[in-house]
Amino acid sequence: MDYKYIEQLLERYWECQTTLEEEAILRTFFRQENVPASLLPYRQLFIEEDKMANEHLSEDFANRMLSLVDEEASLLGGRMEGSFCKARRVTFMRRLRPFYRAAGLVAILLTIGNAAYQSFSEENIVPQQMAKCTCEDSLQHITIGSPEQQSASLTAQPVDTLDSFSR
Amino acid sequence: MDNISFRTTVLPLGDRLFRLAFRITMNRAEAEDVVQDTLLKVWEQRSQWEQIDNLEAYAFQVCRNRALDVTKRMGRNIKSLDVVDNEQLTTDNGLQSIEAREQLSLVRRLMDNLPEIQRTIMELRDIEGRTYQEIAQVLSISETQVKVYLHRARTKIKEWIINT
Repeated sequence: MDYKYIEQLLERYWECQTTLEEEAILRTFFRQENVPASLLPYRQLFIEEDKMANEHLSEDFANRMLSLVDEEASLLGGRMEGSFCKARRVTFMRRLRPFYRAAGLVAILLTIGNAAYQSFSEENIVPQQMAKCTCEDSLQHITIGSPEQQSASLTAQPVDTLDSFSR
Repeated sequence: MDNISFRTTVLPLGDRLFRLAFRITMNRAEAEDVVQDTLLKVWEQRSQWEQIDNLEAYAFQVCRNRALDVTKRMGRNIKSLDVVDNEQLTTDNGLQSIEAREQLSLVRRLMDNLPEIQRTIMELRDIEGRTYQEIAQVLSISETQVKVYLHRARTKIKEWIINT
């Protein structure tokens, strides 16, 4: 049997020029019992690497890890069910959503506050203005004299028109 | 990545990480501790997985760094447990079996005595079947450097095999 292909592959293997597929061919070749004497010394390397690939964690390792992760989950207040959770893509706009909500709430509160302040201020101002107008109107009706004099005296002294009663 | 879970996404990395940690620490118990720390760290960072290109390569990177920390902290060069096992086996088996096991353990011993970076690269390439690109990513070096280290390691092993 011609082992030239295997010999070539092996040479390329030492030079790190083989692909992963070619290295798999070499491993498969050296796993068989009937390896020619010229290639036999190299067999031990591949057999040893096969053994190393079959090294595993101890049997209880997985259970220990799962219990550790479950403990962590329960410490987090049971937000995750066991060791399982669902990942979700969160967009930038969605991350900012709480800020929008806070800004909206502040705007509503400011509007209500402003409206309340305005209405309270108007309640105080309107009766004073109304009282002033009522007084001026009644004095206008009561004043005796020519219309020119009346308007002149009202313009000059809009509030102190009580003097006209004494005339 | 819609559904992720520790059991299906992180835990299956365990054996591969263990072999890498074992190759560096050369101690089974310490390697398991390293894997435990690594898996927990990877799981804790699950909210950032979308920013990681290759989760497995990232886990290998974390595992290697932890294993190196452990080795540095212990400040010792531990013999591989398998080598110890093989040394013990030579006392109670047949002559042919002893020779076979001895020979295998010598290859293993030679591999264990390679510098850490060469050992790690051999582990990732020859045992885990990783591409040069992935190995370069794990070790934060170039693909050319990976090939240089691997070439040195394979050459040493080839020379040893030819000379024995």
